[in-house]
Amino acid sequence: MTPSIEGTVTVKFGDDINTDYIIPAYLLQEAWDKKFFADYAFERYSPDFIKTCKANTRKDNIVVAGKNFGCGSSREQAVYAIQYNNVNAVVAESFPDIFFRNSINNSFCVVKVDSTADIKLGDRLDIDLEKLVVGIDSGSAQFQKRILMSGEERDLLVSGGRLGRVRERLRQRLLAST
Amino acid sequence: MLGRHQTIVEKIVSRAAGKDVRAGDLIDVLPIDKLYFNEVIAPPAIINFEDDFEPVFSETRSSSSQKEIVVFGPPGQGKFKLRVFDPARVCFIPDHTVPSCSVKVAQGVNLMKRFASEQGIKMYKEGDGIEHTVVTEEGFVRPGEVVVATDSHTDTVGAIGALGFGIGTTEAEYALATGEIYDFFVPETFKFDISGDFRPGVSAKDLILQILGTVKEGGCSKKVAEYSGDTIRRMGMDGRFTMCNMSVEMSARTGIINPDDVTSEFMKDTVARHPELASELSSSFESGSRFVKSDVGAEYSSVMELDADTIEPQVAQPHSPANTKPAREISDEINVVFIGSCTNARHSDLVEAARILKGRKVHRNVNLLVIPASRLVYNWAMNEGVLKIFADAGANIESSNCGPCFGKHMGVLSPGDRCLSTSNRNYKGRMGSPDAFIYLSSPATAAASAIEGKIADPRRYYAS
Repeated sequence: MTPSIEGTVTVKFGDDINTDYIIPAYLLQEAWDKKFFADYAFERYSPDFIKTCKANTRKDNIVVAGKNFGCGSSREQAVYAIQYNNVNAVVAESFPDIFFRNSINNSFCVVKVDSTADIKLGDRLDIDLEKLVVGIDSGSAQFQKRILMSGEERDLLVSGGRLGRVRERLRQRLLAST
Repeated sequence: MLGRHQTIVEKIVSRAAGKDVRAGDLIDVLPIDKLYFNEVIAPPAIINFEDDFEPVFSETRSSSSQKEIVVFGPPGQGKFKLRVFDPARVCFIPDHTVPSCSVKVAQGVNLMKRFASEQGIKMYKEGDGIEHTVVTEEGFVRPGEVVVATDSHTDTVGAIGALGFGIGTTEAEYALATGEIYDFFVPETFKFDISGDFRPGVSAKDLILQILGTVKEGGCSKKVAEYSGDTIRRMGMDGRFTMCNMSVEMSARTGIINPDDVTSEFMKDTVARHPELASELSSSFESGSRFVKSDVGAEYSSVMELDADTIEPQVAQPHSPANTKPAREISDEINVVFIGSCTNARHSDLVEAARILKGRKVHRNVNLLVIPASRLVYNWAMNEGVLKIFADAGANIESSNCGPCFGKHMGVLSPGDRCLSTSNRNYKGRMGSPDAFIYLSSPATAAASAIEGKIADPRRYYAS
């Protein structure tokens, strides 16, 4: 993932958005293709989500939320459902571990800030993972927020998925066993 | 750090990682002991595993001139096949919507069967039970192990002193290839210290709902919930499963309970059913090397003390498991009651509900669904006459699976339905329509409510 991600805040949610809300369970077994889930994102919780994301012709949506975004079920399809609606990042006040790990494994940018109350729909965001700051431009005002993430977590996010590393470990092991 | 006091989590991770770790450490590679899959995630994980790792297997094979590394696969097919890290440490359990409720589900289950057969992985049958129940009943998961599975309620296995984590499709696919997970932060522990005795009609579910109502949905985020105290020591294994199961509802990394004589008895019962496991399970009993516990003096990031004597039957109201209230303060009408799920469908759960339903009838407006957690529980309940009590009362009894908790199968809710469920999540839309209302409770409260057609305090059924 590039260390700098820009976008427009097009969707804003409150606290405790669980993965059932992001993608209902009845769909999970109906496709093995990640993109399938995009058409059903927030189907039962926020039916306008997909329309809103589509309406942004710049295709650079950013979702902003309160605490504990992505709680509940471990379904990774929740990440695909958001990601494949042209969402560049989720900025929230916290993420539980499973959703955070699933996001990293899909090179999907999730960043934590202390408060999202003053980030508004339509704001332009510039997420700088190197400096660990989010620049917010609301048109009338510009300000910054620190990204609350350890250097280690940031490195995991920037390095993207782990597939290359896992393949290399497997390769070494297979070679050693011959 | 010789002599430092460790939590059970630090001990289990230290053993697995092969080095002394403490909460907050980041570990590059954490070897796992066990991995299991349900039919929701196994099919895409198998497909991704084949896509992502086939090139590695092909390449290493061609670079080693002599023998083939390992070949599993249909006999007579020359194509090199992939191999999972260790088939004996993986199992497949179809449980969420079985017997299959759609063509795609049936296809997925068949894909699992084929892959399991090729790889030598144990594949359970439809109806054998809910994954977290099956892996503990069958002796697959043991105290002191690092366990990962493709379901957030893998925290359930913490009841026997195992460290269980729910993981997504990608981590599971990688673990299938290497037996490892990566970039693992050793979690801090939040200790819930519970003392005293439950009043009649109160059980583990009421305790965990009370805790959830206090700490809320994000209250244990990134931490492990450890349940301890004399109440837990006296609690049977079924109640412990219920406690650990709902840890994820407060966003805990997992739940865990220090193993003790109750755990040891549970493992002995497992060996009695599976004598072939006797030697393998010898380290899983008291005094065994895997029977690790938190040290007195271990460091906790938070501690909460609770008194079991003061806990009343609790109900979580729509639409959050943390939206709790004493059952006596609610009298909302209901038309569906579900006694089942990985939270509350084991032996003592069914006994508790049957005790109340015995000789009584389910309210005419209520559809009562009873789904035992496993085939073992089902057959036991049948042989002991417990299923007859439910049937006589007018319940629908289904073969073992996750039931309507998954919102796809066996009793999906319509708009306007009001359901009281013994499961773990009552999110809007969880069990079907987003315009249905879901309440959560213990099996006793569910049984009393099924009789009365409204949410009812079960304690009146305990008056002698």
